[in-house]
Amino acid sequence: MKAFKFLRARTCGEAAQLLAKNADARVHAGGTDLLGRMKERLDTSDVLVSLCDAAGLDQIRVETDGSIWIGARVTLAELAASEACRTFLPTLAEAAGLAASPQLRQRATIAGNLAQQTRCHYFRLATFPCWKRGDDACPVKEAGGVQDTAGIFDGACVSAHPSSVAPVLGSLDAEITVRDAKGPRPVPFDAFWAAPKPGIATDTILGAGDVIEAIRIPPRAAKQYMGYAEVRQKAAFDWALVSCAVRYEIVEGAMHDVRVWFGSVAPAPWRARLAEAALQGGACTDEAAAKAADAALAEARPVAGAAYKEHLARVALRRALADAREGAK
Amino acid sequence: MKPATEPDSPARSKVQMILRVNGESHDVAFVPHKTLLEVLREDMRLTGTKHGCELGECGTCTILVDGVPRLSCLMLGLESDGHDIRTIEGMAGACGAHPLQTAFAELGAAQCGYCTPGFLLAAEAVLARDPTPSRATLVEELGGNLCRCTGYLKIYEAIELAAARMQKGTPDA
Ligand SMILES: Cc1cc2nc3c(=O)[nH]c(=O)nc-3n(C[C@H](O)[C@H](O)[C@H](O)COP(=O)(O)OP(=O)(O)OC[C@H]3O[C@@H](n4cnc5c(N)ncnc54)[C@H](O)[C@@H]3O)c2cc1C
Ligand code: FES
Ligand code: FES
Repeated sequence: MKAFKFLRARTCGEAAQLLAKNADARVHAGGTDLLGRMKERLDTSDVLVSLCDAAGLDQIRVETDGSIWIGARVTLAELAASEACRTFLPTLAEAAGLAASPQLRQRATIAGNLAQQTRCHYFRLATFPCWKRGDDACPVKEAGGVQDTAGIFDGACVSAHPSSVAPVLGSLDAEITVRDAKGPRPVPFDAFWAAPKPGIATDTILGAGDVIEAIRIPPRAAKQYMGYAEVRQKAAFDWALVSCAVRYEIVEGAMHDVRVWFGSVAPAPWRARLAEAALQGGACTDEAAAKAADAALAEARPVAGAAYKEHLARVALRRALADAREGAK
Repeated sequence: MKPATEPDSPARSKVQMILRVNGESHDVAFVPHKTLLEVLREDMRLTGTKHGCELGECGTCTILVDGVPRLSCLMLGLESDGHDIRTIEGMAGACGAHPLQTAFAELGAAQCGYCTPGFLLAAEAVLARDPTPSRATLVEELGGNLCRCTGYLKIYEAIELAAARMQKGTPDA
């Protein structure tokens, strides 16, 4: 692996100070994504600022206003097991518990999950050219065969953000607290993602001095209907080919305040606003799901090898809405 | 392209650390960017922990950190500071093989054996929490360990046999 200095931050504030002092530093949390990229020399930073000992960031708190505060270093295993999460944010507990493998969930943190980079097979192997790494060519666009890591929306880069947890956080209107040396600032979930640019590997607005401190889920007065579904090839230890998270309220039998987010279909978690609009004000039925899927997929522009994901997205949306409707959560 | 040699960096000087492995403290010196897998195998000569994909995809590098299965390929040696590490070398006791090891050997749950250290430790952690795990629990808890030889059934059967023997207190009869 690339050699680096390893600095342990005792608090999130100290992490931000250390990042300000070390221009080429990276935040290290569970290391499940970062170390893999450093082994492949996709990231050649000289300094890691580690949150592995940072105090307080491993907590999940229900605040007095009913909002839920999730520290950056909370792991997927902790989310899946947390009583607060299972009770108030069941789709988050479910998606976290389905992700990766038991060993990985012990390490993988929620902040790292959002800031992880694409799993596009070509991006991850330095021997291939990659538009996201600054080359002219994109092998995915020329490759035949089935593309499991490609998306179907947003043509500039065909790779997909791989997180299955992120669409759930989107559906819950999560707010991300980002800290730099000057202090913390709230970033709405929609505003956290950056459009793909040539030669830029990251998919977020995080700058060199930024560290995620926490994820905050706002409180809700009305009962929430939440649903989650993912389509994948293997029952155990597999990435979702497409994931979908929905949330809504019911007012006089009709859906209101609808959120529809997809994962693994675009360079960032994908909010299907057209699907939300189609569902808004109607009953939650399979027919409504089909119409909403038509609306969402009108914008799809897949490469040939990922066209099958359009069908998977329909299936995932129908299942996520059924999951919410059944109120099993 | 990967550079043939690492660029010079102050990060290359070794750190000295006490690692607690299999109940004993070891004084070890290694460079900060070494994974725990590399420290165990290269600096401590504990080669029972296997080196597979190195990317979190196979589970053969599984060790126990404070009793919990973790991937040593994605954890830095430095991060084991203050933790209790258990590797396959620590599994057999003074009276011989662990019941899991005996059952794996008897039932052919190890063929090429490359995945075996990881499976044994992951299984030990399951039994520590749940001495009579259901098949569904085993499938779920061992989902992060891949085996290209056995087809998994022999592995589940061996763990169930060991669990039954451990319940009866007859480790290898
Ligand atoms: C084999 C495998 C299978 C997987 N399967 C799934 C899956 O099914 N679903 C899924 O959603 N994910 C999956 N993952 C991804 C996994 O969940 C992420 O790698 C993990 O969540 C990243 O968290 P980490 O703490 O390990 O981050 P690290 O590897 O430490 O960091 C990842 C990135 O985030 C940045 N970062 C980390 N913490 C912060 C912070 N607090 N502030 C700012 N930047 C930060 C780092 O600088 C780095 O760029 C899988 C990973 C592997 C290896
Ligand atoms: S070597 Fe660690 S998971 Fe494969
Ligand atoms: S016995 Fe060969 S990989 Fe499992």
